[in-house]
Amino acid sequence: MDCHDCHQTCQPKNQKKGWKLFGINSRKSVKNNIDRDSQTNVALVGLPNVGKSLLFNLLTGTYVTVSNYPGTTVEVAKGNRIIAGESVTFFDTPGMYSLIPITEEESVTRDLIMNENVNLVIHIVDAKNLGRMLNLTLQLIEAQLPVLLVVNMIDEAAKLGIWIDENQLAHKLCIPVVTTEATQKVGLKKLIAKVADYVQSTPVLFTY
Amino acid sequence: MSNQLLYYSPIETAINRIESLLEDPLESKISRRSIALLLLQKDPVLRSQLQEKTYFSEIERIVADTEAYFSESLSSVIAESRHKRAMAIEQDITIQPQQQRAFKNEWLHKLTVHPVTGVPILALVLYYGVYQFVGVFGGGTLVDGIEGFFESHINPFVNTIVAAIFPWQVIQDLFANDYGIITLGIRYAVAIVLPVVATFFLMFSLLEDSGYLPRLSLLIDRFFKTIGLSGRSIIPLILGLGCGTMATLVTRTLESKRERIIATLLLALTIPCSAQLGVILGLLSQEPTALLVWATVMVAIFLGIGFLAGKIVPGNASCFYMEIPPLRLPRPQAILTKTYVRLKWYFGEILPLFIFASILIWAGKLTGLFDVLVRGLEPVMLWLGLPKEAAPTFLYGFFRRDYGAAGMFDLHSSGILAGQQLVVAAVTLTLFIPCVAQLQFMFKERGVKKTIAIAIFVVFFAFSLGYLLNQLLTIMELSF
Repeated sequence: MDCHDCHQTCQPKNQKKGWKLFGINSRKSVKNNIDRDSQTNVALVGLPNVGKSLLFNLLTGTYVTVSNYPGTTVEVAKGNRIIAGESVTFFDTPGMYSLIPITEEESVTRDLIMNENVNLVIHIVDAKNLGRMLNLTLQLIEAQLPVLLVVNMIDEAAKLGIWIDENQLAHKLCIPVVTTEATQKVGLKKLIAKVADYVQSTPVLFTY
Repeated sequence: MSNQLLYYSPIETAINRIESLLEDPLESKISRRSIALLLLQKDPVLRSQLQEKTYFSEIERIVADTEAYFSESLSSVIAESRHKRAMAIEQDITIQPQQQRAFKNEWLHKLTVHPVTGVPILALVLYYGVYQFVGVFGGGTLVDGIEGFFESHINPFVNTIVAAIFPWQVIQDLFANDYGIITLGIRYAVAIVLPVVATFFLMFSLLEDSGYLPRLSLLIDRFFKTIGLSGRSIIPLILGLGCGTMATLVTRTLESKRERIIATLLLALTIPCSAQLGVILGLLSQEPTALLVWATVMVAIFLGIGFLAGKIVPGNASCFYMEIPPLRLPRPQAILTKTYVRLKWYFGEILPLFIFASILIWAGKLTGLFDVLVRGLEPVMLWLGLPKEAAPTFLYGFFRRDYGAAGMFDLHSSGILAGQQLVVAAVTLTLFIPCVAQLQFMFKERGVKKTIAIAIFVVFFAFSLGYLLNQLLTIMELSF
């Protein structure tokens, strides 16, 4: 595993910008995307239109297009944030329904989490349709990937009269759970704190 | 592990058997259990990876053995177990209202997707959002204002200054006069393309964030089926109204290869990009009949070509399944950010290209190469019933769609292109080859062979149709 020193800046700036538009975020293939310099790589995954891109923007301070329809993101985008003194790389991925991809862009996400060194998979779900979305969580747990569950859009769920017990959910699944309302930045600090746990507990796997 | 989901015993047995077959240590990042489950679900990627292994036939046998236990496919048996578990968890940890869960604005949702009310709503969105706002306000009012300012103030000023600094005509022409960097390149970008694209992106961001687009997909699905596309493909096609290049990339979200090919073809052929659309709407809105003819021709071609492609391109129509997000009141800040970011990108992208185009034209004129190309196109123009001055516009059009459209605007305002010619030029330019960037993405997404086939078809079709339309309009003696 040699370090090819690929910082974000080594991509042609001009070109890169363009693909952020309409949700097209990076032209680089997933294979070369993992940041070897960063100790912690975090992938944001989930069904289409649950708010992955919005959370990504909030977490990394970069902008990728966010829309209220599924399929806005078709390629992986990455951004960094310093958490607990370490640079953490976040990956925004195209939505997927299950580990078995149906369309081309879904396989991009699967490639990322199956073949690359991802230290944490943040599975983002829509609080309004929890049951339908936990399906993928179960598959991620089955794969023994380190999973953190983000239950997003709790505000919309609350409006429908749905209340979620996050502690009990965490207990049932044996994984950390955070509830958020990404449009209002509610729960973001909690989420970052949870990711920080991961940063600290990440064993230094590749010292050179 | 306490959170381990257990499947029916035949499946668990199969998992154990497959797990023991897989070699040690495992190359993959995911658990053996997960790999075993993927194999039971006949995951194509994993199967092709393990094809070569000696134990692959053994796995095949285990899968076949397990399949015999169930009447349904293993994928659905496994999915069902997961679904049950997921639902049970949801039940345990949520408090839900007893009555039917309904979206608060259910009635609004119904209005947008029901054909009787949905079509008029679509017409309203198109009329006010696209035609009035982008075409009349952006492509008309704003363009005229900024363009007029350029013509009356900036251009004469630049011409004088440049003439004063450089005594040589050749250098003067590079910056000023008819094809100068400032007087043509920057003017096109700032005065014609910018207002149109800005109004379009603003409107588009609004539609995106409200959740209207997926409902439009639902509304149009039935209708799209006849042309071999699912409602899902409305999104890349609508994105194409913003920028065909982006839309070509977004065709990835379509399920079948067949749908992707049809959508790419329709994008290359019939869907005008925002700059083109705005300029055309702006130009033709002064002549409602002309606009009607243009719109009718475009819709007819869209349907006709789509229908034919649906018949010719092999494969089956895929069924439509899409998440329908709730209707949301868009947040103004999110919309403005999105519009601003897109605009910044777009402008950063086109400005250098427009300047480059001016230089290219200048160099082409200097060497005479440009004249050769233009002269080659002139007979084609005459054949279409267009003035030969329109030839350079078609040449630009290949370079950038928006550049060609801006050129058309110029021709019209100088009185060269009018009435019937304007309609023919608008139709031909809309159909004509996508810009270089879109072509590049077609190569990337669809491969060389298919792209070349599509490109040849598009060029041939555009000019033939332009010719036919010109003849038809002459026979019908329609006047604009």
